Amino acid sequence: MVERQVTVTNRAGLHTRPASMIVRRGSQFAADFYIKKDGYEINGKSIIGVMTLAAEQGATLTLLFEGPDEEEAADALVALFDDGFGEE
Amino acid sequence: MHHPSPHPSRAEASGESLLSPPEDTTDASGDVIIDGVAASPGIAIGPVYLLKRESGRVEAERIDPATAAHETERFEKAVSQAERALSSIISVTREKLGEESSAIFEAQQLMLRDDALYKAVVHHIEEQHSSASYAIDQVMTRYRQRLEGSDSPYLRQRSDDLLEVQQRLITYLRRGELLADVPPDTIIISQALTAAEMMLFSRRGILGCGLDYSGPTSHVAIMARALGLPAVVSLHDLSERVETGDMIVLDGIRGRVVLRPSDDTLRIFQKRNRRFQEIRTQQRELAPLPAETTDGVTIDLHANIEIAQETDLLDDHGADGIGLVRTEVLLLLQGSITQPEEVQYKLYRQIVEAAAPRPTTIRVMDLGGDKMLPLARRENNPFLGWRGIRVLLDKPDLLLPQLRALLRCAQHGPVRLLLPMVTTRREVQHVHKLLDRAREELASRHVPFEANLPVGIMVEVPSVALQADVFAEVCDFFSIGSNDLTQYTLAVDRGNDLVADRYSELHPAVLTLIKRTTDAARAAGIPVSVCGEVAGNPMATPILLGLGVDQLSASPIYIPGVKRLIRRIAHAEARSLVRKALDLHDAEDVQRLLTDWFHTHVGHLPLGLDGETLGAHGPQVASS
Repeated sequence: MVERQVTVTNRAGLHTRPASMIVRRGSQFAADFYIKKDGYEINGKSIIGVMTLAAEQGATLTLLFEGPDEEEAADALVALFDDGFGEE
Repeated sequence: MHHPSPHPSRAEASGESLLSPPEDTTDASGDVIIDGVAASPGIAIGPVYLLKRESGRVEAERIDPATAAHETERFEKAVSQAERALSSIISVTREKLGEESSAIFEAQQLMLRDDALYKAVVHHIEEQHSSASYAIDQVMTRYRQRLEGSDSPYLRQRSDDLLEVQQRLITYLRRGELLADVPPDTIIISQALTAAEMMLFSRRGILGCGLDYSGPTSHVAIMARALGLPAVVSLHDLSERVETGDMIVLDGIRGRVVLRPSDDTLRIFQKRNRRFQEIRTQQRELAPLPAETTDGVTIDLHANIEIAQETDLLDDHGADGIGLVRTEVLLLLQGSITQPEEVQYKLYRQIVEAAAPRPTTIRVMDLGGDKMLPLARRENNPFLGWRGIRVLLDKPDLLLPQLRALLRCAQHGPVRLLLPMVTTRREVQHVHKLLDRAREELASRHVPFEANLPVGIMVEVPSVALQADVFAEVCDFFSIGSNDLTQYTLAVDRGNDLVADRYSELHPAVLTLIKRTTDAARAAGIPVSVCGEVAGNPMATPILLGLGVDQLSASPIYIPGVKRLIRRIAHAEARSLVRKALDLHDAEDVQRLLTDWFHTHVGHLPLGLDGETLGAHGPQVASS
């Protein structure tokens, strides 16, 4: 199991487009992928789940990965957040 | 809401509110008559089935637990239908709208496939015994509430994306529910229907259909005509005024509905219905005769075809060919406009073979941005926007399979290719380049095809009519789309009740543009057809003949009336009528001239299909 902390940096927060990028990227890996925020945990491969996190700019999230490729998955997803989903 | 108007309208002048619907007329017997617009001829007498479609609200429906599996299946089917519709939208809009917008649709697709959503809905169906619609409503509402509680305006807006997905699913579920409920031998009354729904209802054996909205050229009206179902549209708030079970008369010839008909009224309409059937029989006898004027000019009368079933009407109605196949309608009825070449080939081949040896003119997809784009990207002026050939040239991947299919079809009968909404010569030249590419692709696959495919354009924009000589150099034929040409020329949306009375295809300005087109075509030696609604109206036939039109193309049901009139008049007289009409000032002047002309040269105005005379502004469904 791999656990990473990330912060939402883009102004619009985790709206539909970033949520869709997270789900697509996460679904490329075999590892299970969950996101926790304020005690609420959702499946990171569910777009509706990610959207309903209602994560705004500045929100801190915990990403959890478990599976054969959990390290690669964690690196890929953290990179997405660090990049701010290509948004301002 | 108030629309200031520079001129007092007729309604204001008569003291009515500008926005109130026309008042009902009550005849001597006490029947309430509601005027609408005739959409498909025939008379239906029977009980109402009121089709209500509340927007958004879903009733808390419980199901028998034993049917949970069936309800889950319905949910799955709605998901796959919504997915197919979205794929079609994505493939059309991806390049045009850019990453940003198509990303929203791709996200919606992910939502449809979302396992969490699926499980939550199925759980709701199984544990709470909810109907599929109610389960979706409950689950999605819960998700949306989380987003709407957010402080971020960005995130609050995102609940719209969820709502759009929810509505897509519920639309598909309801379509199935609606159908299951409609009883046979009733007259459907609704605010609006789609063409696909009309087709489904006709299979249930309904008697007719009356709609609050829609115009006579809407797809739902065309579908009704193809199916031979009496229909009246633009009935304002009729659906608010009747209840399921009320006895009514629906008159699709005159465009009206009678509420609470007396016994006398019922007898009158039964008699009219018999007369209508007699006239239909006489029309069939006219079918094999040519549309030739008394001084020996023959006009080709072609049929507009929206759906393959309409080809059954060609022989009975005496069509000389097919003047317009609207392929976007055919393809949409298959579920999506993005059909592979092979599917399109089979679809068109069926029509071409049904018409052969008569010619078939097939129009490539006439897509309107207004019908395809998401709410967020709706154009402010779709009529001046991304439509017709503009879409296809931006999206050659959409056009090429269609061109290949049409080249292949041309082996099975004479085919002409028609391009919609052309505004520059360059667009025609561009299509020729794509045709070359389509031929090369077919040749390299060793697929047989007919290389020679005449290419023509719709003349539906004033600039094209004004420069018709320039376009004639690159076209093999012209087809005048009189509905759009009139709307663009007079700046009147005929579907807008507030201005629709200003719409007239007989306006001298419109006639002048048509004349310019036919003159240029004659000089270039290419034929001109008219394929708008006016082509099917015998009241307009002398004008169109006099303008030098070679071919008229209308819904098959209008052909006999036009033919009968052509066989009674002289082409030379029609030409002298037009010389006078072109000098007049407005549409009313032309209407008056025409009325006098009919009295002098025919003896009376064209007759309706119920055997009564059509008024000057009478409905267009006529037999002459």
